[in-house]
Order: sequence, then structure tokens, then C-alpha cells
Amino acid sequence: MIPQTVEFDEVSKFYGEVLGVNHVSLSIPPGITSLVGPNGAGKTTLMNLMTGLIHPDDGSIRMRGLSPRDPENLMRITGYATQYDASPRWATGFNFISTSLLLFGYSRAEAEEKAWRALQQLRLTEAAHRKIAAYSKGMRQRIRLAQAIAHEPEILVLDEPLNGLDPLVRAETIALFHQWAAQGRHVVLSSHVLQEVDVISDQIVLISNGMVVAEGKIRNVREEIHERPSQFIVRCRNASRVASVLFKEDHITEVRLNEDRMGLLVMTRDREQFSRAISRIALDGFGIDAVIPADENVDALYEYLIGEGR
Amino acid sequence: MAVYKRGYQRYQGPITSYWTRFMVLPRFAWRRMFQQRLVPLLMVIAMIWPLLCAIFIYLTNHAELLKGFSKQFQSFISINGNFFLVFMIVQADFALFLAALTGPGLIAPDLANNALPLYFSRPLRRSDYAFARLATLFVLISLVTWVPGILLFGMQVGMAGSDWLHGNWRLGFGVVAGFAIWGLLVSLVAMASSAYTKMKAVSGGLVLGFFFIMGGLSGMVNVIFRVTWGNALSPQWASRRIWCAMLGVDPNEGPGVAACALVLLSFMLLLAIVIERKLRPIEVIT
Repeated sequence: MIPQTVEFDEVSKFYGEVLGVNHVSLSIPPGITSLVGPNGAGKTTLMNLMTGLIHPDDGSIRMRGLSPRDPENLMRITGYATQYDASPRWATGFNFISTSLLLFGYSRAEAEEKAWRALQQLRLTEAAHRKIAAYSKGMRQRIRLAQAIAHEPEILVLDEPLNGLDPLVRAETIALFHQWAAQGRHVVLSSHVLQEVDVISDQIVLISNGMVVAEGKIRNVREEIHERPSQFIVRCRNASRVASVLFKEDHITEVRLNEDRMGLLVMTRDREQFSRAISRIALDGFGIDAVIPADENVDALYEYLIGEGR
Repeated sequence: MAVYKRGYQRYQGPITSYWTRFMVLPRFAWRRMFQQRLVPLLMVIAMIWPLLCAIFIYLTNHAELLKGFSKQFQSFISINGNFFLVFMIVQADFALFLAALTGPGLIAPDLANNALPLYFSRPLRRSDYAFARLATLFVLISLVTWVPGILLFGMQVGMAGSDWLHGNWRLGFGVVAGFAIWGLLVSLVAMASSAYTKMKAVSGGLVLGFFFIMGGLSGMVNVIFRVTWGNALSPQWASRRIWCAMLGVDPNEGPGVAACALVLLSFMLLLAIVIERKLRPIEVIT
């Protein structure tokens, strides 16, 4: 049976004396995985390693069972959109995509059909026969994505895929990511826009200084950070009374009242005890409208795990 | 999470052969090259000399047309190794100019635009890319070198008959093999300069510069050390020395075939190393 994960086993990569990534071990399941980290953290290095553009000095990588040293097979199931706007300006969008598909070994008719489908998915059919030189920045970004998806790969590696896209296309592209992930494909992407990562990702990989700081589902990663109290927003009608009840709990470290007196920001060392406490309070008739985790997002994780170390 | 249970199907259909895929890059490179006006122009100019040579072959094979000339002249204009050597020397220069004109557009733009990751994100090895670029140039150079050369040889065989072929078959071999060596050398120089500098104009200058500088250097060595072995440092001289041996022509004074072959081989090896080092999908600056 073909393995369905992207595996990094103790992978290290150095550029001369400069650290790329160090002792990275990862097991990425299908779905949308975001690589998050500051500039120079090693995100692009990880992507280049996955696609075999560079090879590790140490350790091994398997992409659904295939080695990145075997581009003949790997690149048939992998699509890569690099951060560079390298599409040939002299070619039309359609020619660029269909020609690159010929390199995969598709017949001309099949290559043209697949190229057209990719352009349709990225809403580029109207500009298909225009030269790429005449494309806007957003359109060039879309053609970059189109060339990566045209051969319908099962692993998509996308470096900053949403940069330069207008809100409508951005939303449609995110929907495409979800559609691909739902089919059981890998979508590995990097982004600096943390709010976006939050919405898109099934799991995240936080990288800093070439090392993986955390990986997994956002909630699971947050639960592992014991030294930082979890934050919850509680919307309720009688906020001062709820606050006074919560203060009696040992695990509560801080409670802040909202200015409108209709809500609280609660910090707790124990999420489960908090959950039980809030259920009790609700059953006692305090009128709890909503309990929302306030730091169960990439922004907070980034701040806790990477931001503080900087 | 089994992928096949979730609607995605890996492509199972037929794929084209390796060579069909390999030829995609040269085909598109040729199309781009012939969009430049200078390339077809130079190709046409490069055909003038073979045309004149064809006329020469026709004349030498039609004795009635040479009746008015002296016996000495009639014996002078025969089709032999010297004839093909002169043909090769002229065409080799056209090949060099063609390489200087088209070679820089092969790799330099890909490096300047960071397009190599785009190529290597295909089922394509680094060696495939390099050979495809080499083939692009080698085939183009062949069109002005051994292809007209072998046509001239064929024309002479057709007119002079099988007896001539029996005694001169090595000329045909010499033209093809000699031009193959030259074409390979020129293509490698053009590729290396294209990979070394990201600017097309500089790269073109470098191709011509390489041959002029090495020619000048070989002359300097000869003068300073009062030797003739310095000639081997000139790729043109070394190539011509090998052509002479292949065509059975008396060579000029200088190093032998083996020494020249060794020098050319060393040049090719060094150029291949430059290409290998520069042709990386990711440029790493440490």
C-alpha cells in the first residue's frame, strides 16, 4: 500500500555554514498544512527539499513513499509553485501551461485540455491567449498556481500562494484548496498572513531558525503550551457576577471585564476545569451566551512560540 | 484518509516517450530563436559558402567547362582534403557567430528569472535540461556545419562516382566527425557563458572572447617561450589540427593530434564543470 504521508526524518540542510533546517522530523497527513514562521525560518528550504530542488545533507524525505531524488516519478504527483514570478513573459498563459504539460508526457490534445481546465479553475480563461507580459500581478500569481495544479497532482507545494490575489479570487482559491484537501490530497503552503492560515489550515508547522517549533492541529498545539494560560472570551448578561464566581476557581489566573459589562476575558491554567466550571455556571442560570477560545489561533501560537524568542 | 476513497485518482493513462518529452525544450527554444531576425539572416549568409563550394564541385566534375584553363589550374581545383578543410574553416566561424548569437538566450534568461525551479518542478532531471539545451545549439550549429558538409560530399560522390568514394570516404567521415567536435566545443562554451553571466549581451561577448583570448594567449606563449606547442591552447588551432589528421592534409608546425585532442577534451571537461556548478535550481549564496 502506498504511504499517504509526507515524511521528514531528521532532515538537516546547511548552505555552507548557514543553517537551512536542522533535525527536522515531520509527518504530514493529507489536508491543508501551513508552514508558518518568520522570514528566513526555513519554510522555503522545507518546500525545496520536498520537491527535490535541493537535497538534505542529512536525514531522509519520503513524499507519499517517493524520494525527492526521483523527479521522474515524484513530479508527476507533485505540483510546486515557487515564490518567484518566473513565468515566461513572451508566452501566452495557455501556451505556457500546455507546453509545460507536454513535459509530463501528455499528448498535445490532453495537455491542452488539462491546461484549459487549470485556467478555468483559476479564472484565467479570458486572458488565456494573452501574453503573460500583459498580465497584472494577481494574474501572474494565478498562472503560477495554474502551472502547479494543471497536471492534477496529489501533493501541492505552494510558496505564498495567496500573495497579490484580490479578495474574490483569494476566496475562490482558498475554496479550491479545501476541495483538493477534501479529495485526500496534500496542500502544503506557506503564508505570512496568520489570520488566513487560521482559516485555511487543517494543521500547521511552526518553524523558527530552521527548527520545527510545533506541528499538528492548531488546537492540539495550543493545548501543549502549558506555560501560557489559555484565554477564553465569555459572552454573558451578568458579567460581574460570573467573574466573581470564576475567581473562586484555583485554575483561573485572570479575569477582565469588558467595557460593555456583557463579556469577560478569562485566563485559565486548566482548560478542562474551566470547561466544567463554565458548564456549572451556565446550569446555575447565569445566562452564558457564548464561550470562545481567544488564543486558539495561529496568531497566538506564533506569538507564544516564536514571537517571544525573537 | 486513503486517497483513492476520497475521489482523487492518480493519472493512469499513457505518456509519450522519453525522447518526445525531451524534444519539447529544444523545439520551443528553436521557435524562440527563429523569432529573432538575426538568426535566420545569419543562417542564410552561412549557406553562401556551401553554395559556392557546390558550384566548385560542379565545375570540377565537368571537364568541358574548364577547357579554357591551363592544365596546372585544372589539376589545382580538385576535390580533396584541402577543399574540405577550407570549407570547414569558413563554416566553423559561422558556427561560432551563430553560437554567440543564440547561445546566451539558452540559460541566462532562465537563471535571471529564477525559472530553473519551474523546469525542475517537472519530471525533468538537471542532466535532461542541460542536454536539451546542448542539443538545441548543437542541432542549430549542425545546420551550418556538417549537414551542408555531408551534402557537398554526397554531391561529389554523385558526380565523381564510386571510385572516388572508395579512395576518399575518410573525407566524409572527417567532415562529420570534425564538425561534431567543433559543434560540441562551441555549444559547451556558449552554454557555460550563458550559465555564468545572467546578461545575454555579456554572455555573447564571452563566447567570442573565449576563442579570441585563447588564440591570443597561444600566440603569446609561442613568442615568449619560442615554442610551437602553445598553438594547442587555441581551440581553433587544436581543432584544425585534428581536422587535418582526419582529412589527410599536411598540418602546420605545432603539437600533434593527441596533444590537441587532450587539450580540447580538457576544455570540454572544464566547461562541463562550470555548467554543472552554475546550473542549480536554487542559487545558494553563502
